[in-house]
Amino acid sequence: MADPLPVPPAARSVSVTLHGGDLPWRPVSPMLTRVRLITLGLVVAPALVATVVVGVLLTPWALLGSVAVVLVGLWAAWLVARQVSSISWVELDEEIVIRKGRLFRTLVSVPYGRLQYVDIQSGPLARAHGIASCEIHTASPESDGSLPGLPVAEAEALRARLAARGEAQRAGL
Amino acid sequence: MSAEAPDGSGEWRRLHPLSPLLRGGVVLVGLVGYAASQIYENVLSSVGLDMFAPDEGGMEFDDGSSGPGDPLEQALAHPFIALILVAAFLGLVALANWVAWRFARFRVGGGQVELRQGVLFRQHRQVRLERVQAVELSRPLIGRLLGLARVVVQSAGGADSTLTLSFLELGRAEALREHLLDLAGRSDEVALDPSGAPARDGSQPRTPSSPVLDAAARPVLEVPNGRLFVATILHGSTIALGLVLLLGATAAGVRSVGPLALAGVPAMIPVAIGVAYSRVKQLLVHGNFHLADTGTGVRVQEGLTDLRTTTIPIHRIQALELVQPLWWRRFGWWRLKVNVAGSGSSEEDDHDTTLLPVGTLEEARVVLSLLAPGVPTAAWGAAVLGDGPDGGWQGVSERARPFDPLSYRRNAWTDAAGAVLLRSGRWTRRAVAVPYARIQSLSVRQGWLEGRRGLATVHIVTAPGPVEASLAHLDVAAAEVFLDAIADRARIARRRAEPARPYLAADPPGLVDWVRHPQGSPDTERR
Repeated sequence: MADPLPVPPAARSVSVTLHGGDLPWRPVSPMLTRVRLITLGLVVAPALVATVVVGVLLTPWALLGSVAVVLVGLWAAWLVARQVSSISWVELDEEIVIRKGRLFRTLVSVPYGRLQYVDIQSGPLARAHGIASCEIHTASPESDGSLPGLPVAEAEALRARLAARGEAQRAGL
Repeated sequence: MSAEAPDGSGEWRRLHPLSPLLRGGVVLVGLVGYAASQIYENVLSSVGLDMFAPDEGGMEFDDGSSGPGDPLEQALAHPFIALILVAAFLGLVALANWVAWRFARFRVGGGQVELRQGVLFRQHRQVRLERVQAVELSRPLIGRLLGLARVVVQSAGGADSTLTLSFLELGRAEALREHLLDLAGRSDEVALDPSGAPARDGSQPRTPSSPVLDAAARPVLEVPNGRLFVATILHGSTIALGLVLLLGATAAGVRSVGPLALAGVPAMIPVAIGVAYSRVKQLLVHGNFHLADTGTGVRVQEGLTDLRTTTIPIHRIQALELVQPLWWRRFGWWRLKVNVAGSGSSEEDDHDTTLLPVGTLEEARVVLSLLAPGVPTAAWGAAVLGDGPDGGWQGVSERARPFDPLSYRRNAWTDAAGAVLLRSGRWTRRAVAVPYARIQSLSVRQGWLEGRRGLATVHIVTAPGPVEASLAHLDVAAAEVFLDAIADRARIARRRAEPARPYLAADPPGLVDWVRHPQGSPDTERR
């Protein structure tokens, strides 16, 4: 997964599909799940503590709140796992295609020739887990080419590849 | 001010001395008016002419902070002090104006336009000439009265990237605009012409062969103000308001609910004002609409009070949309809007994205044949009026019916030479064209309900603007075919565009060179 070697562009014989498909779709790092779960925990834990404290000190009814918080937290955790596992991407000859979501699916196809610049971002938590997010910008802010949860080395390699191809295939506005 | 050197000489130049005052404009006039009326009242009351002063009892006593015995009030009431205050105030205004004027300077030279202004919060804005998208003249009413104009230099890079020189004398502003257009070279427009090899260096004065856009403009059409007036009134908001008023008036006649209806009147006033404001603004912006063909683009002149001239080069047009609201159908009117690279996406600036505020289909076709010469006019006809799968239109299936019960037979796409055409809408008819060479990216989105019915929506993303190109609720398989077809043609169009426009390829307007400037646009900066 952390292999930063460039991926040979896939042959463009099959069309890009919303579900499944024959293209070598690549998943993002499972570390992204962990990072997002930790973030979720940071939100859920204080709420849980607060309801438990109130339940113990004041009224046991607040413990119902704790149960609700736990349930919501578990549901959100399940959602996070599903969301992360649904992110996949593939580099084609002239585009990079990113798929996301299950209930609400999106597929974004950005031609290399339209790239303006690529942002690589990584917060302290993501950095501690060795992942970064890669955001691809075109002349339109509506092309939402964000690809979260790449291993840092791979993100850097991707940026280098995108830069090279963008330069080679650059087209006017 | 020294008038010897021309504005384009590379020297720092000043704006018109009245500029800060005019820029402060309405606010300042209001302030002066308010202060004057306050002092006037005080003067009157101090010399015992209370009865002439407007009734001031309620407010002053209510707020309790300044009773009649307030020493400050009494001091202010003395006529000489009041006069001194007026003089001091005017002096202060004049001083502030002078200081602001002294600190605002602009310079054209070294391949860029620069503007420095501000005393405490200094601002230095520069726009590189080769990034200039358009140079506009704008003449607000108050400026027109004094023979002044504003020069607006638009560059690529979002809503905040304009450089406005306000104000200059009209003649000077016109000369400066010509000069800037000349310097900016409109190199890319020349580049479209296969015969001309444009000089890259924007700072070199252009040869006489460079197109001075205004010289060769051929008038194409104008929109009569009467038609614009009717079309502006016929808008969803006014019609809804009219219906509500009609209902209210009817209800007011009925005894049992009459008082209730009357009680609703105050609530309607802000709504009515809002509607009237937006309609009047539309009229003011698009009045006196003239469109001319400059060979490489179109020149739009419009505005009832604030006359603007904008030139839009054809190759900067990213997407076109022809719309007919239901209320216009009787008259056969259409509106043409475009997305223009670098003009930003804010609704406020719709003056340079509306290329026909209201016109007949015939007029719209004339303009479209200028803007998108590749797309056959017959295709436009089918796009705006057609229905069903005839003529190569590939549409949504019966499965989309619950989502678009009226328009599911209309919603479709087709391939017109060099562009993809989308049509949609049963009541509000809409046709969108996006040239393949202008597509930025593509996306397919599927909401939860769409997923249940096996549908998906395809978006064609172009540079931002009022036109949104998307085709909703296609079958998933059809959406994938659509995506594939569009991506394929866009690929071919990009390849074809590259060698033909080396200038754009090397330094495209609106595109940041992300190797040299990975952080963002270097065009404009504030310090």
